[in-house]
Amino acid sequence: MIRVKNLTKEFGGTDNGGGVLALSDISFEVRDNEFVTVIGPSGCGKTTLLRIIAGLIPYQHGEVSIDAHPVVGPGPERAVVFQSFALLPWTDVLGNVTFGLDVRGATKSDSQAKARDLIRLVGLEGFERRLPKELSGGMQQRVGLARALAVNPRILLMDEPFGALDEQTRRLLQEQLLQLWERERKTVVFITHSMEEAVMLGDRVMLMTPRPGQVKEMIAVPLKRPRPPDIEKSPAFVEIKEYLWENLRAMQTEQP
Amino acid sequence: MNKRILRDCLPRLAVFAAAVLLWECFLTRSQNFLLPTFSHVATGLFQLIFLEPRFWEALYISNQALVLGYAASVLVGIPLGLVAARLPWMDRLLNPYFAVLLVMPVAPLIPIVIIALGLGLAARVFIVVSFALVFITINTRAGVRSIEPTLVEMAKSFGATETQIWRRIIVPGALPAIFAGLRIGLGRAITGMVMVELILVASGLGRLLLEFSGRMQSDMVFATVLAVIIEALVLLSAMQFVERRIAPWVPDTSLT
Repeated sequence: MIRVKNLTKEFGGTDNGGGVLALSDISFEVRDNEFVTVIGPSGCGKTTLLRIIAGLIPYQHGEVSIDAHPVVGPGPERAVVFQSFALLPWTDVLGNVTFGLDVRGATKSDSQAKARDLIRLVGLEGFERRLPKELSGGMQQRVGLARALAVNPRILLMDEPFGALDEQTRRLLQEQLLQLWERERKTVVFITHSMEEAVMLGDRVMLMTPRPGQVKEMIAVPLKRPRPPDIEKSPAFVEIKEYLWENLRAMQTEQP
Repeated sequence: MNKRILRDCLPRLAVFAAAVLLWECFLTRSQNFLLPTFSHVATGLFQLIFLEPRFWEALYISNQALVLGYAASVLVGIPLGLVAARLPWMDRLLNPYFAVLLVMPVAPLIPIVIIALGLGLAARVFIVVSFALVFITINTRAGVRSIEPTLVEMAKSFGATETQIWRRIIVPGALPAIFAGLRIGLGRAITGMVMVELILVASGLGRLLLEFSGRMQSDMVFATVLAVIIEALVLLSAMQFVERRIAPWVPDTSLT
């Protein structure tokens, strides 16, 4: 379980303040095997929140813990999928997928076997020896996903993973991610700026407000799993999406 | 391969032949005694390489300074650049010196170096280093700086140690710029090598050049310069060969 309590994060300030308040008094929990999507206008600190949970940046006040262990840095139970894919341009698909395993000291044969399984799972069989620049954006993010899954994390932290992709590719990857999740039921925190994506994937949607970032509301998504591709037409889906839009629009118009 | 010969080599040869023809025609008509025709230079080069034992001796002597000075520049320059890029306090400390070295005209200082270090190999090596080092260092530094921060973050998210980050992200990421620095550095080192021999330490190729010009043998002067150019091109090609092996993902920026 991921537990965030009264989390406050300030950038660039000293001990006496003076910085920019990115997150203010955030509290929420993500249960095991739960898929939580986080949505909010740009500048609401959702990526900062994810990076804190990933252990990549420090925080000043509050608690962030995983299974009651405070987060002090990255850990083997977590893996991150990045918006910009963050693939190493100098190594092929296989080398990228084995990266996490290699860093964690797996033997070469082990990590290669594991990586090949995952490359097959994300549908990139036959592309093992291609360099990232030879792949489309969608394929690159599949590599990013395979790399994260390769270390077999219990928690998957996804930072707008499909945000840089075109609409059609995004839809395909969403469907694929849902299928994968049905199989493994990992705990997922998924940052997005797409309302459809937030509702389609999440068990709950966390709505955030900007400047400073705060949790406005946790919205349960009462849609049955596994979710079919035409779920967008169901009344419940439309209703939640409309509700999100009303809130997000209100936040945008409040801006000076 | 055939395609490459057609596309690159034939036009180059054509331009070269045209230039030689122009050179030859112009000089045979102008009756200028001091400027050698191309055929004289070519004969001179032939003489130099096959009939002049002092040329090989001079080449050997000059290359001592080049090899030692360039090796020292590489061995000190690359680590210095890496460290400056990764440690902010080192960078702040060294930056002004890099700037000074970058713009400083080295040639006027040669006499002072000779006074300090004598007329031997040490002085020549020192001059070669002062010509080449800073270019290797600032290119290395720029290469490290150009690495996408998300790549380092990605490595950290998998729990990579600082050593692993260096070995797997920073060094391979900076390699293209390091090679660019090595190429510029080589050109500078050769300039330094010839210049110090011309200005004060009459040894090696510089001494040969002084002798030839003292006897008004301009064709031999040209031939010696041509020999230096040929050596530099051979070294650059060798470097390019190594670069292709070590960093095949890098787009080709070399000149040959």
